[in-house]
Amino acid sequence: MNGEKTSSPARRVWRRFLRNPVALVALVVIAFYVLMAVSTGLGTLLGVHFPMDPNATNLSDKLQPPSLNHWLGTDNLGRDVLSRLLNGSYISLSVGFVAMTVSLLIGVMVGAVSGYFGGWLDNILMRLVDAILCFPSFFLILTAVALLGPDIRIIILVIGFVGWTGTARLVRAEFLTLRETEYVRAARALGQRAFPIIFRHILPNAFAPIFVTAVVGIPDAILIEAGLSFISLGVQPPQATWGNIINDGRTYLLDAWWLIVFPGVAIFTAALAFYLAGDALRAAATTRQERK
Amino acid sequence: MLNFIFRRLLVGSVLLVLISIVSFFTITLAPGAPYPWGELNPKISPQVKEMYRKKFHLDRPLWEQYTLNMKGLFTGELRSLKDERPVLERIFERLPATVLLNVYSIALALVFGLLWGVWSARRAGTTADMLSSVGAFALIALPGFWIAYLALIGLVNFFGIPVLGTQSYGIEFPNGLTQLLDRLWHIVLPGTILALGGIAVQSRYIRATVLEALQEDYIRTARAKGLPEEEVFYRHALRNAIRPLITGIGALLPALIGGSLIIETIFAYPGMGRLGYEAAIERDYPTLVALNFIVAALILLGNLLSDVLYAVVDPRVRLE
Amino acid sequence: MIRALIYGLPALLLALIIASFVNVSLLRQSRNNEFSVGMLGEPATLNPIKASDSASSQVAGSIFNGLLRYDENLEITTDLAESFTLSQTTTVFFSSENDALTGLLRLEAARPQWESLRIQSVRMEGPALLIRLGEPGMAASEKIFANLAQTVPVQVVRVETPEPAGRALAKLRAAEGGGAVIRVWEEGSTAFEVSVLGTPEKALARVSFYLKEDAGVKVRLVETQGFLAEPEVVFQLRRGVLWHDGEAFTSHDVEFTFRALMSEEVASPRKADFDTILRVETPSEKTFRVIYRKPYSPALASWMIPILPAHILEGKPQEWWVAHFDRKPVGTGPFRFKEWKTNEFIRLDRNPGFFRAPAPWLDGVVYRMLSDQLALRLAFETRQVDFWSVDPWAVAAFENDPRFQLFAMPGNSYSYIGWNLRRAPFDDERVRVALAHAINVPEMVRFILYGHGTPSTGIYTPQMWFFNPHIQPLAYDKTLARRLLAEAGWSPGPDGILQKAGKRFSFTLLTNNANEIRRDIATLVQDNLRDIGIEVKIETYEWTVFLRNFINKGDFDATVLGWALGPDYDQFQIWHSSQVNPEQLNVIRYNNPEADRLIEELRQEYNREKIIRLAGRLQEIIYREQPYLFLYVPESVSVVWRDAFRIRRPQGGVWIDTPIEMTKAGWSYFADWFYRPEYAGHLPTVGSPATSQ
Repeated sequence: MNGEKTSSPARRVWRRFLRNPVALVALVVIAFYVLMAVSTGLGTLLGVHFPMDPNATNLSDKLQPPSLNHWLGTDNLGRDVLSRLLNGSYISLSVGFVAMTVSLLIGVMVGAVSGYFGGWLDNILMRLVDAILCFPSFFLILTAVALLGPDIRIIILVIGFVGWTGTARLVRAEFLTLRETEYVRAARALGQRAFPIIFRHILPNAFAPIFVTAVVGIPDAILIEAGLSFISLGVQPPQATWGNIINDGRTYLLDAWWLIVFPGVAIFTAALAFYLAGDALRAAATTRQERK
Repeated sequence: MLNFIFRRLLVGSVLLVLISIVSFFTITLAPGAPYPWGELNPKISPQVKEMYRKKFHLDRPLWEQYTLNMKGLFTGELRSLKDERPVLERIFERLPATVLLNVYSIALALVFGLLWGVWSARRAGTTADMLSSVGAFALIALPGFWIAYLALIGLVNFFGIPVLGTQSYGIEFPNGLTQLLDRLWHIVLPGTILALGGIAVQSRYIRATVLEALQEDYIRTARAKGLPEEEVFYRHALRNAIRPLITGIGALLPALIGGSLIIETIFAYPGMGRLGYEAAIERDYPTLVALNFIVAALILLGNLLSDVLYAVVDPRVRLE
Repeated sequence: MIRALIYGLPALLLALIIASFVNVSLLRQSRNNEFSVGMLGEPATLNPIKASDSASSQVAGSIFNGLLRYDENLEITTDLAESFTLSQTTTVFFSSENDALTGLLRLEAARPQWESLRIQSVRMEGPALLIRLGEPGMAASEKIFANLAQTVPVQVVRVETPEPAGRALAKLRAAEGGGAVIRVWEEGSTAFEVSVLGTPEKALARVSFYLKEDAGVKVRLVETQGFLAEPEVVFQLRRGVLWHDGEAFTSHDVEFTFRALMSEEVASPRKADFDTILRVETPSEKTFRVIYRKPYSPALASWMIPILPAHILEGKPQEWWVAHFDRKPVGTGPFRFKEWKTNEFIRLDRNPGFFRAPAPWLDGVVYRMLSDQLALRLAFETRQVDFWSVDPWAVAAFENDPRFQLFAMPGNSYSYIGWNLRRAPFDDERVRVALAHAINVPEMVRFILYGHGTPSTGIYTPQMWFFNPHIQPLAYDKTLARRLLAEAGWSPGPDGILQKAGKRFSFTLLTNNANEIRRDIATLVQDNLRDIGIEVKIETYEWTVFLRNFINKGDFDATVLGWALGPDYDQFQIWHSSQVNPEQLNVIRYNNPEADRLIEELRQEYNREKIIRLAGRLQEIIYREQPYLFLYVPESVSVVWRDAFRIRRPQGGVWIDTPIEMTKAGWSYFADWFYRPEYAGHLPTVGSPATSQ
């Protein structure tokens, strides 16, 4: 306990986080997937494939069950599922991270402005959030994909743009309370302008819940991409993602279970790891606040 | 209070009009066109296409189409481009199946969520509680369509049980009860999968509120009075913890008629999600406009209802 | 209290769930005498003249009948009609009655040739000769016409008016008094065409003169004809046919159906098929006569259009149709409409009074609307639908299972890669042929279709009677492909990709996103072409976006598509060089004068042998030029539960059970009716077997 007193709050949260065995396991899983994604991403850049080329078709080997040659079997075009899974991890996680970042940026901006300034601006922005929740997002995606092309970057951006409203509401609520704290009042009384207060005083204090949202936002985006694949609006073939391996395999459901099971396990475990990590973080962070 | 409701309704209607305008233009300006016969059809002449456009006013300027659509929506005369039936009729005929499915899955989420939440709250801090929280997150992290596929593989390959639609076919039911149970089975399958995430979220929520309530002063007072722990827990803590559930009813309003495209597609269930998706694929603008409008209106109404109920349940809150 | 709820409710729900599961797994398969068919997609309507989707036509097909139908060999045969006769009246106009008489004499002199020209009679009417021919078409008439002198041409003039054209037309008629205007054809409310005698200038001037006061009227010369060639079809209708509600079927129903097809309120997608009709007549209750404006042989098949009941629909507004007929139709077919639950099922009952005996043995048919291929499969395996068109990859699983029987039938569609002929390098025939050699079609058939298909050799499919069987598919030959490309100036560049004049051989292959087989084809093509140094990028879009933004605009390099065309030799819309505008179907901009000529002749030809010759030639020249890379004709494989159905057939005076058979038109369960063996004892008695001999 002595060490905690001398170190910074963030470090204390981190330590408490690490003391949670569930969090530790989740962290290891996340690290594993990130490592996998980074290395296959690098491999793709350099043209090195492990264990084989994820897009190379080999029709005489199609729909093979898992074996020594193909640990996780092959798909309907004879492509190696393990290779596609590894390759897909890099796309799926990128989708998760980038889309989350996009929606986080927008959400924090809107939420911060709305929560800090309040009044009519808050009213308008929150009605905007209401409106967006009522809006046909399917068409937004459809239009964007049709107008800008079915590029993976477009799809990531669209997923990000659709998902910021939750963050915005959370940040707003956070700001509404923090706005009234003594140090913010003091800063305002000293004549500091709005944006420095937002960035220097409020945002760092709202960091924990925002960070938790971010962690939880990653699996959300991965699941959304998988859902988009279901209606063929996801990432384009032959590029593999966890979602579209499942959906391409859906027609072979009764003949080739391995096309469904393995990528599903990947999505599930990755999402679970992120959620658990997020929860553990939240727990670690709230304990700190209570003690204060 | 009345003043507040009135004001919110006013703002809501303005918002609704704005939403309807934006969504109408997004829907109609999205690429593609509403030809029910598909476009690469050698049997369709340009004149026929022209006739069709005229018949459904698709040759008019967009703003005029918008007003025609909105007028038609309120007079009930708005007709689908696919089968020319009034869109409200098309939407309402889906309601029974959709509402039934949603009622089942919401009930499941609430009932099992409550049970689970209470169970883990009583064991807060133990290993069992920790495991149950991991379990809850596992349910949230499960992709619905994936678990549906696994369920299908199992049920069809190992049991050979009918899994699609709202009833079994080709069978003469021996009596009404078996038929009723058969219908129930066809709701149970998609409904349970839809509810999985909800159960988990609900259980976490209940657990949190119960634990919070146990910290309150009146619980300490009750304990100090020497009431048995069971009674303290069920009579006092839980009663207060359940209160926020009531305000959640507002959010259920749109959820009742909402549909999940993916689950409905997998189970060939005739719900609202598939109606919307098919209308989108066919570019059936009137159906889409009507669906969007109704869902948006329900969301806004639901929000209002939540706020009002919140004030009713919690006297400390004053609506202004 | 709360406590009881917390533990009681979950227990109750759990009990219900378990009960429903046990119930569904115990349900005895005490099956009813009903055939259930799985369908993808919901029919838009059961009104057959409004329907354009295959689901609607499929269901409407067992409720309604047309005058004609396709038989088991995909040849035209009669249905509501008992018989029909084809003939033609060719009218030649002369400058005077004297000239006409001279012409008549000249024809009389050539009487020995009448037989071969199929002339039945010649008649003079004013300054015109009316020649009746036993077979419609242009060839004979042109031969006759070449022998005649002093003839006056006919000008077809099109008039378009901004407001309803009735007034302009009435004015024209009143002014002309039936003079030079010899034919009037109304296209719709705002356009009509008149045939006027004389030179083009005179005819235009004449029509314009009478209409000049009307603002915005557009007058345009459509074509000049040497003579009028007006084919005629006379249908003798079947007697004793009743609608499902008991009313008698008459020629009035047929006439009404025609009027409905042409009307603007209905806006029937099938209208174009009937646009060449000049007028229809009903000389008697059981006779229906159609007179065409010009020879157009595919028009005969259009009388397969289901006939609507005039006694129900006549005089009712469209809203009434929608509310009272389109979703609960009344027809003449083997099954009567019973119930439709949206997105679930359509249920039909047997029609004991069906006119083509025997009436169905089944009590009914259920069409189940399912969401995708997987759902169909699941429904079949759990015996919720009785038959299924198996996806190729699943065939093997069913083949070895004794519970099922399979039927294969060559399909009526083909898949292809369309090259944009206006874009380099696809404007070069050598390149296209080389690409055709570079794609391993047999492998595609083997691995995508699991062998259930054959390489395509052009625009027709093998089971059509006009298919040209002498065309050999181009062989897969990488070396040859490389050589052909080298001859066309393409040589390997530094990155291994072929180059010509500094341009890399790289293109984008487009297809629609919902079709997995097309996506697989695209992936295979990408692989095959990488082998010979061509880079292919694949892009897929949602169907309407794919068409609107790329195909209709002609903005693509190459695209994977397919045609499912029906047994029709007329492919004007797809291959004629005039059909290249946006929204028209010659999307690859194919242009070959000889093909154009063949296509035009084909549509005017009624003679079977000549059709086979022309169609064969057309198929040959298109295949040689490879504007498409013709891939394959898939076979459609259907599977049924082995113990499910039999056909009852008369043989030697008794009815016997035979297993289900496959015909060119599929296993047509609406002609030969199935039943389940356990119903053999109590079969319906309607349509009792012939007992003579």
